[in-house]
Amino acid sequence: MYRLNVRKAAVLGAGVMGAQIAAHLANAKVPVLLFDLPAKQGDSNGIVNQALDGLRKLEPSPLSVKDKLQYIDAANYQQHLALLGECDLVIEAIAERMDWKNELYAKIAPHLAPHALIASNTSGLSINALGSALPVELQPRFCGIHFFNPPRYMYLVEIIATRQSDAATLDALESWLTSRLGKGVIRALDTPNFVANRIGVFSILSVMHHTARLGLGFDEVDALTGTRIGRPKSATFRTADVVGLDTLLHVVQTMCDTLSDDPWHSYFTAPAWLKGLVEKGALGQKTKCGIFRKAGKEIQVLDLVKREYRPATGKVAEEVDAILKLKNPAEKFAALRNSSHPQAQLLWSSFRDVFHYCATQLETVADNARDLDLAIRWGFGWSQGPFETWQAAGWKNIAQAIQEDIAAGRSMSSSPLPAWVFEREGVHTAQGSWSASANNYRSRSTLPVYQRQLFPEMLLGEAVAVRGSTVWENDGVRLWTHAADPGIAIISFKSKMHTVGAEVLDGLITAIGIAEKDFDGVVVWHEAPFAVGANLKQIADACTAGAFAQLEATVEKFQRASQTLKYSQVPTVIAVQGLALGGGCEFVMHASKRVLALESYIGLVEAGVGLIPAGGGCKEFAIAAAEHAARTATPGEVFNFLQPVFMTIAMAKVCKSAHEAVQVGFASPSDTILFNPNELLHVALKEARALVEAGYAPPLHPRDITVAGRNGIATFEMMLVNMQKGGMISAHDYRVAKAAATALCGGNVDTGSKVDEEWLLTVERHEFVKLLKTPETQARIVHMLETGKPLRN
Amino acid sequence: MSKQIQDAYLVAATRLPVAKRNGFYQTTRPDDLLASVLRAAMTQLPALDPALIEDVIVGCAMPEAEQGMNVARIGLLLAGLPASVPGITINRFCSSGLQAVADAAARIRLGEAEVMIAAGVESMSVMPQITGNKLSMNPAIFAREENIGIAYGMGLTAENVAERWKISRLDQDTFALASHQKAIAATAAGHFKTEITPFSVESYVPDLASGEVNMTQRLVDTDEGPRPQTTPESLAKLRPVFSARGSVTAGNSSQMSDGAAAVVLVSEKILKQLNLTPLARFLSFAVAGVPAEIMGIGPVAAIPKALQRAGITQQQLDWIELNEAFAAQALAVTRDLNLDPDKINPLGGAIALGHPLGATGAIRTATLLHGLQRTGGKYGMVSMCIGTGMGAAGVFERL
Repeated sequence: MYRLNVRKAAVLGAGVMGAQIAAHLANAKVPVLLFDLPAKQGDSNGIVNQALDGLRKLEPSPLSVKDKLQYIDAANYQQHLALLGECDLVIEAIAERMDWKNELYAKIAPHLAPHALIASNTSGLSINALGSALPVELQPRFCGIHFFNPPRYMYLVEIIATRQSDAATLDALESWLTSRLGKGVIRALDTPNFVANRIGVFSILSVMHHTARLGLGFDEVDALTGTRIGRPKSATFRTADVVGLDTLLHVVQTMCDTLSDDPWHSYFTAPAWLKGLVEKGALGQKTKCGIFRKAGKEIQVLDLVKREYRPATGKVAEEVDAILKLKNPAEKFAALRNSSHPQAQLLWSSFRDVFHYCATQLETVADNARDLDLAIRWGFGWSQGPFETWQAAGWKNIAQAIQEDIAAGRSMSSSPLPAWVFEREGVHTAQGSWSASANNYRSRSTLPVYQRQLFPEMLLGEAVAVRGSTVWENDGVRLWTHAADPGIAIISFKSKMHTVGAEVLDGLITAIGIAEKDFDGVVVWHEAPFAVGANLKQIADACTAGAFAQLEATVEKFQRASQTLKYSQVPTVIAVQGLALGGGCEFVMHASKRVLALESYIGLVEAGVGLIPAGGGCKEFAIAAAEHAARTATPGEVFNFLQPVFMTIAMAKVCKSAHEAVQVGFASPSDTILFNPNELLHVALKEARALVEAGYAPPLHPRDITVAGRNGIATFEMMLVNMQKGGMISAHDYRVAKAAATALCGGNVDTGSKVDEEWLLTVERHEFVKLLKTPETQARIVHMLETGKPLRN
Repeated sequence: MSKQIQDAYLVAATRLPVAKRNGFYQTTRPDDLLASVLRAAMTQLPALDPALIEDVIVGCAMPEAEQGMNVARIGLLLAGLPASVPGITINRFCSSGLQAVADAAARIRLGEAEVMIAAGVESMSVMPQITGNKLSMNPAIFAREENIGIAYGMGLTAENVAERWKISRLDQDTFALASHQKAIAATAAGHFKTEITPFSVESYVPDLASGEVNMTQRLVDTDEGPRPQTTPESLAKLRPVFSARGSVTAGNSSQMSDGAAAVVLVSEKILKQLNLTPLARFLSFAVAGVPAEIMGIGPVAAIPKALQRAGITQQQLDWIELNEAFAAQALAVTRDLNLDPDKINPLGGAIALGHPLGATGAIRTATLLHGLQRTGGKYGMVSMCIGTGMGAAGVFERL
C-alpha cells in the first residue's frame, strides 16, 4: 500500500484559505512553507508575515495553540522556490484565476520533489484543465483538494481526481487527510463548484428566490432556515455575510459561466440588491456591513422594500413554529406544503427545489447520494443532507409532491424528476447509497483508514452498526464491549449532555468494579460532548431542601468516582471530544490515560456557578505542583506552579483545543491527541490494550505532598484584593477564588507542610460545601439552570 | 539646619541611558550596568585615589537574582575598584537611589568618611515578575482591614489618590503628554548629554545557520522611553489597567525600565586637597510614612521636612525632580503642596524617561545636578513616593 509521508508541506498563497490550511497542517505537526508573492517594499516575505500575524489574531483560532505558528516558515516565489524540493505535499491556494494558476505551476514545476503530491484548493475551476497545464510526469500526482472555511473546524474536504490522477496516490491522500488532518473526505467529480458548493449555493439561491417571491424579510427567513430546520444558527443570509458577499457572487458567477446546460441556469445570477451591496463595498462580516450590520448593540438587516437597514427582529410565526416542532418528518413536510402561510411556503418551496435539483444533478455532481448528503452535512453544517431529509419525510410522497408542483409550474424548473426517483423507496439502504451514474447502490469505502472508525457518521436510512453487547447498565451509564476488543469494557454515559449526576457516579464506580473483576481494562467513551459538568439540577434541589449533609456525601462520592478511575486495578482510558467541563474535566484528569480529539474543549468552569472543582480537580493540581517543584532546585517552592492553575480555575477558563489542555495541565504530554474524533474509540481500545500488555499497575497514593499553605493562600489573596478593589471582581468572586486558592494550597497550614491525598480532598470538599451554603452561589446555580448563562453577582 | 561636622559635596554624577523593560538592556546584567556606571563616575575624577573611598552604597528595590548577593560589592569589584573598598546594597523601594546619596552624605557629614560613592541600579527586565522572583504575602495582612493596603498594587494606590484628590483622566493624560514632550525636547537639545555615560551593550546571539556565536556590540547613548508618537488621542484611547472604572492607564503611569547611576561625594578636605570642582552641596534629606493605600502622596509628608532641614522655602527651589510614578500622584502632590509646576521635571519624568525603581533616585540626582549647572539655578530637590506608603526628598545646593 502506498503511504503518504508528509515530512514537510508547502502552501502556495497566503490568503484567508492558504494561511489557515498552513495553520492546520502545523496543528497536525507538519512543518509548512507558506508562499506568496515577494512584497514590493520592505521585507520580501512581508505579505506572508502579515498573513501569519493575522493567524495569531483570528477567532476562532486556526491554531490549536499559538506556538504552532513557529512551524510555518514564510517564503516567496522569488527567493525560495528551491525549498519546494523538501516538500512532500504542495497545496496551491491562490486566487481563482486559471491563467495565474497555470503561470505558477510552470514556475514551481522544476523545483518539485519527484515524489511530491500537488493539489489545488480551487473551489470552482476545472481540475482536469488545471492538471493539463502541468508537465506530463507530474499529472498523476495532481488533484483537487477542496477545504472549507475555516479549514480547522470544517470537517469536509473534497478530493477531485483528474483523468490522469494515480488512484493509489489519491487513496493515500484520502487516508492521510482523514486520519492525520481529521477530515471527512468526499470524492467529488470534476464539475463546477464540486459537490457541497454546487448544492449548498443552489440552496442559498433558491431561498433567495423564494424570499423575494414571497416578500419576506431576510431576518425572518434566517429565523426560519437556521437551527429550526437543523442548519447552522447563521442560517442563509448571515451565512452569506460570513462567507463574504463577493465570494458568493464569484461562486454564482462560476455557475453562470460554466453551467449553461443546467435547467436552473436562469437562476444562476445574483439578485440586483446583492450586486449593489458588493459594489458599495458592503461585503458582509469582513467589512462589518452586508445583508446585516451592527449599529451599536443593535443588529440591523437590509430591508429590500425600504432600501435601508432596519432592526432585525424577524420571527417565525406561531403556526409555522408549531409545524416545525412536529416530530414526524412526513407530517411536517405535508403540513408545510399545505399551509398557505408565506413562511411555510418558503420552507416547502426551497426544500422542494433543492430535492428536485439534487435528484436531477446527482448523476453529474457526485458518485452517490451518500457523498452528496455528507458533503452538505460537513461543508454547510446541515444536521441532515437533502436526500436523507427527503427519505425521512417519505420518499414516494415527496417525489409525488415535487412532480405535482413541477406540473403545476410551481417549481423553479420544469425539468422532470429522473426516472430512478420513482423506482425506489429511497436512496440510502442497508446495502449502500444510490449512484445515479452507476445505476446501483454503492457501499462505503473499503480503505483501511475507515476501519479505524468503529462508529462512522451514518445517514438516516443507512444500516446502523450495532452498538456492542451490554454487560451492565443503570440509569447513568452503560457498560458494554465492542467486537474490536471484547476484553476491554467500555463505559458510556447515558445522561443528557452527559451531565454527571448521582446515577452516573454510582454507575461509574460499579462499572469499574465489574471491569476490575471481569475485564482487562476500561475505556470511557461516548459521542460529544464528553460531559458538560455536574448535574446542577440535583445540586439546586438539594440546596433548596437544605440537604447539605447529603450534598457533602454526593461530593464525596464524586471524589470517590475520580479516585476509582485513578486507582482502578485495570487501566482506565478516557476518550474525549467536545466539551469536558467541571466534573467531566475532573474525570479526564484522573484516568490512567487520555485519548483526546483535537476539538476537545476542557475546563474547570465551576467558578461560573460560584463553586470550585471538588471532584479531585484542585487536589490533582496541588499534587502536580508538588511534583513539578520536586524536580527543581527548590523543591519546597510549589507556589509558582499553582499560579497559572489558580487563574485557570478562578477565570473558569475553557481550553480551545486538546493541545491547549495539555499546556494547561488537564492532560499530559504523553496522552494521545487525534484529529478525527471518529477514531477515538478504536484508538482508546488500543491504548487500553497497550497498557494491559505493558503490565499495567495503578499508581501509588502519593504521600508527603508539599503544599503552599497559608503563605500561598495569602499571596493569591493579594491578587484578589487588587482585583476586587479595582472593581474587576465581586465580593463573591473573591470568596470563590479564595476557596480555590485554599484548596490548591492545601488549606490553612504552614507553607511547606506535607499532606496526603485524603487531606487535599477533604479541604476541597469542605470549601465546596461552604460555598454551596452561600445565597450568592445558590443564585448562580439557579440562574445557570434557567438561562444557561453565568450570573455575575 | 541639621547638625553636622562637615559638608558633603557632590563632585561627580553620571548615569547610563535608561532602557525600557526588555529593551536594549534586555540581556545585560544589572551588575554589569552598575560596574560600568561606577567606572564612569571614577573616570570623571582622575585625581581621586579609589583607595580613599570609604564605602559604596547602592540602592536597589528588588535586590535578588542577577542584582542580588549584595550587588554593590560585586559591581564595585567588577568595576575594578580596589578590594579594600567595601559595598552595601540598600533598599527603600523607589527611593533607594536617593537614600544611597543621603546615606553617603551622612557618613561624610558625620565625619566618618571623606569619600563615598552612592549609586542605584535596577533591571526590571531580569525580574520575572515586577514583585520579584518569589512573592510571598503574610496571611496577617488580610486578617485586619487596616493592613490590607500593604497588598495593594501600586496602580491601585494611584487610583485611590486620583479619586481622593479628584485628579481627572484628562489632567493625568495631559501631564503624561507633557512629560513626553519635555523629554523629547530635552533629548533633542542635548540636555542629557552631560549626565549620560554611553553604554556598550554586548550580546551573544546563536547564529543557527552558521553554528557560530555572534558577539555584537551596540553603543547606546539615549534614553529609550520617550515616545514622539504619543498624542492626546492615543493616550485617551488606553483603557484603565488597575480598576475597571478607573483613570490610571499604561500611558499615564511610569514606564518599567532598566538603568543605573552613580554619584561621588567628598568632604571639604578632599575637595580642597585634590582641587575638585563641586557640582553641589548636599543640604538635607527626609523620609516619611503615609497610609499604604495612598502611597503616591508620600512626598507631601517628606518634602516639608526636607526643606525645613535645608533651611529654605519651597519658593527658593529652582528645580524639582518629582518622580512621576503615576501622573495622578505627581499632580496630587503638586497641588497639595502648591508646588510650582514650571519647576517640576523640566526635562520630563518617569512617564517618559522610565522608572528603574531603585536606580531612579540616583538617576534623577544626576539630572538635577547637571540641570542646575546648566541653568544656573541654586536650589534643587529630588523627591518621590515609595511603595507601602512613604515619601522621600533630598535637597541640594548648586555650587
